[in-house]
Amino acid sequence: MLLAGKTAVITGCLQGIGQATLVAFARQGANLFACVQQEDEAFLAFIRDLSEEHGVSITPVSFDLLDDASIKNAAMTIQKAKQPIDILVNVAGITLDALFPMVTLAQMQKTFTINFFSQMVFTQYMTRLMLRNKRGSIINIASISGLDGNVGQLSYSASKAAMVAATKTLSAELAPQGIRVNAVAPGVIKTAMTENLPESVVAEKMAAAAISRPGLAEEVANTLCWLASDAASYVTGQVIRVDGGIGH
Amino acid sequence: MLLKDKNVIITGCKRGIGRAMVEAFAANGANVYAHARSADDAFLADMAEIAARHDVEIWPLCFDLTDTAAMKLAVKQLMSDKRPLHGLVNNAGITLNALFQMTTEQALRQQFEVNFFALFNFTQSVSKLMTRQKQGSIVNIASTAAQDGNAGKSAYGASKAAVIALTESIATELGETGIRANCIAPGITDTDMLDTLPAAIIEATRNQTDLRRLGNPSNIADAAVFLVSDLASYITGQTIRVDGGLR
Repeated sequence: MLLAGKTAVITGCLQGIGQATLVAFARQGANLFACVQQEDEAFLAFIRDLSEEHGVSITPVSFDLLDDASIKNAAMTIQKAKQPIDILVNVAGITLDALFPMVTLAQMQKTFTINFFSQMVFTQYMTRLMLRNKRGSIINIASISGLDGNVGQLSYSASKAAMVAATKTLSAELAPQGIRVNAVAPGVIKTAMTENLPESVVAEKMAAAAISRPGLAEEVANTLCWLASDAASYVTGQVIRVDGGIGH
Repeated sequence: MLLKDKNVIITGCKRGIGRAMVEAFAANGANVYAHARSADDAFLADMAEIAARHDVEIWPLCFDLTDTAAMKLAVKQLMSDKRPLHGLVNNAGITLNALFQMTTEQALRQQFEVNFFALFNFTQSVSKLMTRQKQGSIVNIASTAAQDGNAGKSAYGASKAAVIALTESIATELGETGIRANCIAPGITDTDMLDTLPAAIIEATRNQTDLRRLGNPSNIADAAVFLVSDLASYITGQTIRVDGGLR
């Protein structure tokens, strides 16, 4: 087990990559704070079962990335639990796709608030907890869109590029104090977020990939497990593409 | 254990990163073909000891990678053994520290002979065996010097950059057959190779590293274990820097 005895905070756990990360981290023995926008009965039942199956503690935390006060409250809740935080995985994110001439300021602002500004605010709270123990691993979910650009994804790709730059700066600032910071850039992954992509776009991406199938959320989660673990203790400031070799 | 009952070939296992890889792969349950240039008693005893400690098989595979005839014999042995090969880690390599204007053609060719041509030939042969079984993960050890343009590393860095380009093409060509290919680019790692560098350069590099320390051979080995394992099933054509955040 790669993460036995570690405590991780994961955002965006309701579905997709976040949910797969929750499952993978529980399987690897981590105790978890599972962050969602709003917890419901189904989610609570899901984490109860997961917790029992793997013998780890999973605490639900709800906050809205568009609401600063709720972010602060969530951070306080985590702090009050008095568990040393070893790992933070920033998965939560949205995409509001539109061709450039049609992009609105409101769309850009909302995308950046959720995908970047609020994540940084939350990360700031979490690093304060990590710095007490002089250790930690932060992983941000970027995207190949943020590295390569992508038609129709101005706001999303720019917000993810911001995440890439932040990853490198945070590594420079925090790694000397024992906190590693990395990003994972998923390619086309089978999730609700990519469900709405036109088939032709997916086919085009797959034709350009060495592994010609969409990736699974679990495959991204497995990379996150490794990066979060001590097996990656000399890896920091990196952006790792989990994309089946797109462009290769 | 990430690699239970998998069979992996690792080159350059006598010391440094290769030796650490044998240890890490064995600890993760893999059986290892452990390559070294020459078989000596100390190496064979060391490999036997690791095998016994982790309850895996380690088969020493001793030949000179630059000797094509010897390599062909080794590949014949791999074929006749008929074991499925899940991983190939090309770790063996040499280094050179010489300013560009002082680098002789002979020294340049020597870097490419070992770091690139030998790796190319051996990987070609092993990948044919992997193609038959429709699976495999190739991990090539490159270097941050391939990407960073370090002074004194024109020949070494170029040979490692060639390895990265080769790896990307292998990923593209063999993706369909279920074979992944990736590189690891170690930063400044605590091995014999460091003895060739002036202490002042090592110290300066340490201070340019986010983690403010040198890497250990085991750090590189752990990354190779990950890339060979199924945890990395959607990662191919990549170069992963294990460099402590080298600026």
